Amino acid sequence: MNRRALYAAAIAVAVLVIGAVLTPGLASWPGLRAVLVVASFTGFVAAGQMLVVLVGGIDLSIPWVLNAAAIVLTTTSLGMSQRLPVALALAIGAGLAAGLVNGLGVAWLGVPAVVMTLGMNGVLQGLTLGLSQGLTCDDCGHYAPSPLRDLFAGTVPAALLVWLGIALLVTVLLRLTVFGRRVYATGVNPRAAFLSGVGVKGVTVALYTLSGGFAALAGIMLVGYGGQASLGLGDPYLFESIAAVVVGGVSILGGRGDYVGVVAGSLTLVAVTTVLRAQQVPEHGRLMIYGLVILAILFAYGRERAHD
Amino acid sequence: MRDLQDRLGYLVLIATAVAYFAVYTTSLGRPPGSFDYLAILNTTMPLALVAIGQSLVVLTGGIDLSVGGVVSVCVAVTAATGGAPGWILVVLLLGAAAGLVNGLIVAFGRIAPILTTLATLSIYTGAALWVLPVPGGSIMPEVRAVLSNPNIPTALGWLALAVAGWWVLRRTRFGMRVYAVGSDETSARAVGIPVERVKTAVYALSGLCSALAGVFYVSTTTAGDANAGAPFILTSIASVVVGGVAFTGGRGSAMGAVAGAVALTLVIDVLFFAGIDPLYQSLFQGLFLVVAVLLGTAAALLARRRTT
Amino acid sequence: MTVEATGIHRAFGGVLALRDASFTARPGEIHALAGENGAGKSTLIKVLCGVLRADAGTVTVSGRVATAFQELSLLPDLTVAENLLLTAPPRGRLGLVRRSHLAAEASRLLSLYGVSEIDPRSPARDLAVSQKQVVELVRVLALEPDVVFLDEPTAALAQREVDWLAGHMRRLRDGGACVVFTSHRWREIERLADRVTVFRNGTHVATRERLTEDEAITLMTGRTLDATYPDVSAIEVGENALTVTGLTSGRLRDVSFDLRKGEILGVGGLAGQGQRDLFLTLFGARKPVAGQLSVGRSRISARRQPPDDGRVVARRAFGAVARRFGVHRTGERWSLRGPKDAIRAGIAYVPEDRKAEGLLLPLSIRDNIALTTLTRRSRAGFIRHQAENAAISDVTGKLAIGAGRATSRAAGELSGGNQQKTVMARWLLTDADVFLLYDVTRGVDAATKHDIYHLIADLARNGKAILFYSSETEEIAHLCHRVLVLREGRIAAELAGPVGDAEEIVAASIRETADA
Repeated sequence: MNRRALYAAAIAVAVLVIGAVLTPGLASWPGLRAVLVVASFTGFVAAGQMLVVLVGGIDLSIPWVLNAAAIVLTTTSLGMSQRLPVALALAIGAGLAAGLVNGLGVAWLGVPAVVMTLGMNGVLQGLTLGLSQGLTCDDCGHYAPSPLRDLFAGTVPAALLVWLGIALLVTVLLRLTVFGRRVYATGVNPRAAFLSGVGVKGVTVALYTLSGGFAALAGIMLVGYGGQASLGLGDPYLFESIAAVVVGGVSILGGRGDYVGVVAGSLTLVAVTTVLRAQQVPEHGRLMIYGLVILAILFAYGRERAHD
Repeated sequence: MRDLQDRLGYLVLIATAVAYFAVYTTSLGRPPGSFDYLAILNTTMPLALVAIGQSLVVLTGGIDLSVGGVVSVCVAVTAATGGAPGWILVVLLLGAAAGLVNGLIVAFGRIAPILTTLATLSIYTGAALWVLPVPGGSIMPEVRAVLSNPNIPTALGWLALAVAGWWVLRRTRFGMRVYAVGSDETSARAVGIPVERVKTAVYALSGLCSALAGVFYVSTTTAGDANAGAPFILTSIASVVVGGVAFTGGRGSAMGAVAGAVALTLVIDVLFFAGIDPLYQSLFQGLFLVVAVLLGTAAALLARRRTT
Repeated sequence: MTVEATGIHRAFGGVLALRDASFTARPGEIHALAGENGAGKSTLIKVLCGVLRADAGTVTVSGRVATAFQELSLLPDLTVAENLLLTAPPRGRLGLVRRSHLAAEASRLLSLYGVSEIDPRSPARDLAVSQKQVVELVRVLALEPDVVFLDEPTAALAQREVDWLAGHMRRLRDGGACVVFTSHRWREIERLADRVTVFRNGTHVATRERLTEDEAITLMTGRTLDATYPDVSAIEVGENALTVTGLTSGRLRDVSFDLRKGEILGVGGLAGQGQRDLFLTLFGARKPVAGQLSVGRSRISARRQPPDDGRVVARRAFGAVARRFGVHRTGERWSLRGPKDAIRAGIAYVPEDRKAEGLLLPLSIRDNIALTTLTRRSRAGFIRHQAENAAISDVTGKLAIGAGRATSRAAGELSGGNQQKTVMARWLLTDADVFLLYDVTRGVDAATKHDIYHLIADLARNGKAILFYSSETEEIAHLCHRVLVLREGRIAAELAGPVGDAEEIVAASIRETADA
C-alpha cells in the first residue's frame, strides 16, 4: 500500500473527529452511518474513476452512465421485486456496454479519453432524455423494487456491506491478480509494459468497461436510496469522483494508488460537506471551503516532481 | 493532410454552416436572414470567448475546468452591479486574477492543471453564489447596445477584436513560447524559455477571456445566474477539440476553437430545424464531438502513411 | 569567459551521476570530453550550461553560452524556422513577429551556415534524425556563442556533415570561443580536440593535450581492454533458430539473414541505419511492410497456439486488416501482431533505453522481473506468491542483482547496471530461444559490462541465439561470431568474427558500396 493512501485515511479520520466535536450528532452511529451511506455512492463511482486514472485516463461519462442505469432499472423493474434480477442485469449491462465503447474508442481508435468519454456522456444523456421523453414516460415514475430500498434499512445497512464487498473486490483485483499487475505496469509506462508483453489495449478496454459498470452500480444504489430515478442524478458525481480519487492519493498521471485511499477520499469529501451543512454554512461557503480543502490536500501530497 | 488536421475547425464549421443553411431553407422555405445570423452571433459570443481562453491553456498542454466558475462569478458581479463600465473593468480584473491564481498553482505549485482547476472551480462557483444567491440582476441598456445589440451586429466588431487580439498574440514572443511549451516542455526549458511564466500567463488570459464571456452573457440574456458558467466547462473543451487543437499541446489555434464554438452552436440550430426532438440534442452533440475528432485522427494517420 | 566546475555532485533518484567532478576549459580551444556511456558527460554538460542544478559544488561559466543537447531540444510541433528563430524572430512594426518572413529568414540562416536541403517550413518532427541534429547545431551556431557545448553532435551525422561541423568548430575556436564536445568516435576527438578530458564513473580522471586511443580506453575503463571480453569462438553454433527473409520495415530494405542457436550475431553500422527498426520489427513492436520471419522452435507445441511446424510468420499477405483485428490464420502460419506473439514464439527483446522502454521505475524489482511471465505462476488469474518469490530469488541470485537488496525496492533506486540486469532477468524467466539485445551496455559501468558480456556468452553456450547491436563497435568486434553491417537499411557487408578490430566494421560501415 502506498503512503498517500495512509495520508488519505488519516485525513478522513481527522475530518470525522473534527466533525464529531463540532456537531455531536456525527459521533453517534446514526450520524456516522448517514455519512457512510452517502459516501458509498461517491465510493462506487470513484472505484471506476480510479481504475481509468490508474492508466492515465479519465472518465467524464460517469454522470449519464449513472443516470441511464438508474432509469433503466426503474423502467424495467416497474417496482416489482421479481423483475429486479433482470433489471439489475440490464442496468449493469448498459453501464458495462457504455464503458466498453469508451474503452474501444480510447484504446483502438486513439480518441483522447477526455473527448471519448465526454462524447459518450452526451450520447447517453440524449438517449436517456429522448427515450424516456424527459422522464415523463409511463414507466418512468415507478419506485425502485423494495429489496433494493431495503438495502438502506437497518442498523447496519446492507448497502454498506455492498461497498465493503466492492472495496475488497477492487483491492484483491489490483493487488493479488495478474490483471492488477498489468494495470499498474500500463499506468507507469505503457511503452515499457507493451514491450514486456502486456496487452496494453486490452487492459485499457477492461478498465473503462469496469468504470461503466461501477457508474451503473452507483446509479442503482442511488435509486434504491432515493426510491425513484430523477434527471441530473449523476451530475454531482463527475467532479466528485475525480476529487475522491486524488484526495485518496491516486496519482492523476497514472500508475499509483489504492482503493483504500479512495474510500478514505470519498469519506473525507462527504464528511466535509456534512459537517459544513450541520454547521449551517450556506451553500456558497460550502463550495468555497470544499475547494480549499481539496487544494490544501493537493498541496500536501498531490504535487508533481520538480522539473530537473 | 497535416494541414487538414490543423484546419479541422474551419472544415467542420463550413460543413455545419452548409447543413444549417440547407436545413433552415427547407424547413422555413426561405434562407436564414440577418436576424438569424445576429442571433447566432450573439449566442455564440460567450462560448467563443471562453473557447479562446481554453485553447490557449490546451496549447500549453493544460486544461482549465475553472472557466465555469470564473464565468459564473463574472456573470454574478456584472448582473449584480448592472454592468456599469467601471464595474466591467473590475470584472475583467477579477477574471484575470482568478486565472492568475490557477496559473500560479499549476506552474509554481506543481499541481496538475485538471486538479488545480477542479478545486478552484468549486471556490469560484461558491463566490458567484455569494455575490448572487438568486438568479436576477440586470444590465445597463447602454452597455447592451454596445456589446450585443439585438438589432445591429455590434458583436461582430467585438469578435473581430478578439480575432485581431489572437492575431497579435500569435506574433509576439509570448505567442511563440506558448506553442514551444506545449510542444515539448523539457526542450522548451532547455532552450531557455521561462516555462513557468508562460503557463501562469495563459491561465490568467483564460481567466480574462472567461470574464469577457461573463459580461457578454449578461448582456445577451439581460440577467445573471450564479450557475451560468457551468455548461461552459464541457462546451469550451468540446469547441477546442472540434477546433483541431491537440490535447497534447503545441498544435492548433484559438481561431480553430472559435470556429469549433460556432459549429457547436450551429449544430443545435441544425437539429432544431431538422425537426429532431430537442431531448435528443446532446446525443447528436456527443456524436458530433467524437466524429470530428476521429476525422482529425484519420487525417493525421493518412498524412503519416503518405510521408513514410 | 571561463568554464570552470569544481566538486560537482549530482544524483538522479539515488543514483550518483557525478561525484566530486571537476572540469576546466579555456577560451580559444576545442576541448573533447571523453568517457564511456554513463560516465557522466551529458550530466556534466547540463550542469555546466545551467539546465541542471548541481547538488553540490561550484560552476562558473561566463560569456554567451549555447548548447546542443544529445537528446536534441527541437520543439517537434514548431517548424524548422520557428525553432531556429525562437529567441530572435524577425520583427516588423510594433515589434510583432513577421511570420511571413520566418521561412525566408531561416533559409538565409541555414544557407549562411552552408546547409541546404532542409525545408524551413517543415515541422521539426518530420525531419530525419540527422537533419534534426543539423538544425540543432545551426540553432547553436547562429547564436555566435563565446562558450559552446556540443553533446554527441556527430552521433547521427554522415561524414560530410561531420566535416561541416568540424569547420564551424574550428572557426569558433579561432574566433576565441571555448568549444566543448563529446564523441564516441575517437578519430574525431583526435582530429579536432586541442585537449581531452576523460571521465569515468562520474568523475574527472585526466586532462591531456596528447592521448593515444589505447591510453584513452585504459583511462575510460580503468583497465586494459582485451581482458574484458569472453572468448566466444569456442562456443558451438547449432541449427537455425531464426530466419528472416526479405524484411522491409521503417528504414530496412529487403533484409535477409539466418541466426543460429549458440550464435552471437552482431549488427553493426553507423547509428540510424535501420538497426532499431530491425530489432523492433523482429519483436513485433513495429509493423513490417514486407517480409517473413521463421522461428524454429521445437518446444513451441508445448505452449498455447501451436502452429504445426513451429513457425511464426509476419507477412504482408494478409495485410493490415489481419493485424489490426487480430485475425489469426490457423495452420502453419500466423501473423506476428505484437510483442505478446513474439514472446510466445520465444523471442526476447532487451532495449537500450531502460527508463523509457524497459523498466517500470516506480515498481518493485520483483514486479519488473515477473511482469512478462505472470501467467506461468498464477492460478485462475491469481498470482501464486510463493512460486513467484522462488522464481525471483532464483534469477536475482544467479545475476547477483543488487546483492543484499530486497526485491521489493523500486527499480528506480538501482544503479544503471543493476537496472539492466533486472531487465535481463525478466527475459531469462521466459525461457526465450532468441535474444534481441539492443545496445544493452549503454550507460552501464565497466564492472557490470563485464558481467553482461559473460552473461551473453553463457546464454550462447546454453544454445540461445543472440542478435546483438551496440553503439560501441568494439563490443560487436569482440563479442560476435558474425557481423552484419547495415547501411541505409540494407546489409552492406557480412564479416566473419570475432572481428577483433572495430576498425574493420567501421570501414565496412562507411565504405561506399562498390555495387551501387
